[in-house]
Amino acid sequence: MNKILIIDDDEELCELVSEYLGVEGFEVESVNDGETGLKRALTGEYDMAILDVMLPKMNGFDVLRNLRVESALPVIMLTARGDDMERIVGLEIGADDYLPKPFNPRELAARLRAILRRAVSDTNDGDPDDKIEVDGVRVVGSARTATCDGEDLNLTSVEFGLLRELLREAGKVIKKEDLSEKVLERKLSPYDRSLDMHISNLRKKLGVRPDGSDRIKTIRSVGYIYTLV
Amino acid sequence: MKLFIKIFLWFLTATALMVGVIIFVTRTFQTEPMVSRFQRSTRNQMSIYSGTATQIVNAEGDQGLKNYLARLRDLEPPREVDLVDSSGKIWFGDPEEITDSTELIGRTFSSGAAETDFSSDDRTLGAAPVEFPDGRRFVLVLQWERQPPQSLFWGSALGYWRLAGLLTTAVILCYLLAAYLTSPIRKLREATIKLAGGDLQTRVAQKVGRRHDELADLARDFDGMAERIESLITSQQRLNSDISHELRSPLARLNVALEIAKQKSTPETASLLDRIELESHRLNEMISRLLILAKLESGSENVEPVRVDLAELVREVAEDADFEAQARGRSVKVLSDDPCTVMGSENLLRSAIENVLRNAVRYTAEGTAVDVSLVRQNGHSVLQVSDHGGGVPEDELANLFRPFYRVGEARERKTGGIGLGLAIAERAIKAHKGTIAARNTGDGLLVEIKLDKDSLAA
Repeated sequence: MNKILIIDDDEELCELVSEYLGVEGFEVESVNDGETGLKRALTGEYDMAILDVMLPKMNGFDVLRNLRVESALPVIMLTARGDDMERIVGLEIGADDYLPKPFNPRELAARLRAILRRAVSDTNDGDPDDKIEVDGVRVVGSARTATCDGEDLNLTSVEFGLLRELLREAGKVIKKEDLSEKVLERKLSPYDRSLDMHISNLRKKLGVRPDGSDRIKTIRSVGYIYTLV
Repeated sequence: MKLFIKIFLWFLTATALMVGVIIFVTRTFQTEPMVSRFQRSTRNQMSIYSGTATQIVNAEGDQGLKNYLARLRDLEPPREVDLVDSSGKIWFGDPEEITDSTELIGRTFSSGAAETDFSSDDRTLGAAPVEFPDGRRFVLVLQWERQPPQSLFWGSALGYWRLAGLLTTAVILCYLLAAYLTSPIRKLREATIKLAGGDLQTRVAQKVGRRHDELADLARDFDGMAERIESLITSQQRLNSDISHELRSPLARLNVALEIAKQKSTPETASLLDRIELESHRLNEMISRLLILAKLESGSENVEPVRVDLAELVREVAEDADFEAQARGRSVKVLSDDPCTVMGSENLLRSAIENVLRNAVRYTAEGTAVDVSLVRQNGHSVLQVSDHGGGVPEDELANLFRPFYRVGEARERKTGGIGLGLAIAERAIKAHKGTIAARNTGDGLLVEIKLDKDSLAA
């Protein structure tokens, strides 16, 4: 059974989510402030964390920032709906996904599963293309590491998944719909810009080629392509 | 600055007029009497001289008179002294000296009293009769240099310096006075602009300095007003974020509880639970939009403006809207997308375009398309979105952008709108100093957004 840590100051909500996710087959523990949340998250007992932004003692962003120094624990951030800044900041610091609050619990369960599945499949050996390398950028699925010219890129699990898909099909256009289904494990919905945002963060981390060209190009209204030199 | 120039010029004109009046009055009431007094005293002096001369010639004879006349010559200022008889013969003096005074000599002989001649600018001529003991009659003529009456300002270098000094002093004083009066007004204006621009911490009384006049009162009143506005807006913003948190917490719990109920639901309750979910979704949607609207209206959404590719944005949003429209048997067509860029917030512009487009998709008749066109028109980017939904009554067009305004209550509810989309779009476009307007096209509504190339998010 997967152990989930909820860090949210709303105790009643935590109780309800625990009950719901319990039925869905997760084991849930909840803490109500940022400091304890960070301590618990760093114990390594959990497979995943759900993190609220507004927290007493230490806000969600700080918890995530401190967590990322030592741990790659998958994190879903709960952001205030309509606040794009929170969403963007969250993803930039290294959240694997975000869910605007109030969220639909079914959606939460689906995203938890998607991220957990990805984490599991990432560590599966025997994958024929476990290691991919394209002009200096190297991803190793089993080790969940991505490097560019030998330097660690510090990718979140979503960015890692996106990069792996793009490298697998390097030189070919991948549709946004396909990327969303394969990596985010959900259908691309209109007005949802999270895929674009993940790609833009990935681009920033990858940097440009020595000649100044982008490694990942946007093909308007179709998708993305990892360009070959 | 205009007020400054006005005050400055008015003061200067007033000062110049005053100086003019004073000079005129001095001339009329002082200079003229002075001149006539001078003439009188010259005449008196002449009669004294001639009287003395007559006495001397009686008492001491010709030689005594000559000594006396020679003494007269050495007076200060030095004067030319001549004694002439009625035939014009010189008894004393130099014949050349009296060439100009024939008329005066004649006048003196005929009147038998002292006469003067001021017709020359720089010489004073005086004449008086002198009678010798033997009955011979002479005329004593005195000429001396006269300082022309010095004008205070004209005719000499010193006068011009005086004039320049007076003018400079007047200009400097007027400038200082005008500056003293207008500088607090300018500072107030700067502060007003800053406050209007959203800097609520603007205060001005300190800058106006230690004055105790109406302008200082105005500055203090301004500060009072700014303080009140600041506290109002801050509490409004705090309220917004509290609403966001406090209203959503129960909604979040409601959603989870609802899902748990669904896990345990029976077929009879399932549809009711779906209904509850729909309503909770609507409630949530409404709260988010109200918050966006509140943020836009208070101008608290301060975003660093960036260059936004409007064409790309329109294509993206149109694609999403088309996807949504297709599901309901409608479509969105981009008729033209000229390359346009504007400075502003991509998120605000996206939300404006999205709201207008989704609104059009909501109202266009089944089977029809919403037409989108983005064109460049003399430096403006013009986005037109037209639907085929029958339009709205002419007199309601202006109300479309009011929050919660509904044209035809029943229809709106069914289409699922909450009456905030266009209001949000309007505020977002306004924040970019653009315009948004709606008009009927015959079979539908056309919404037009106009943005400047370098429009900025406020």
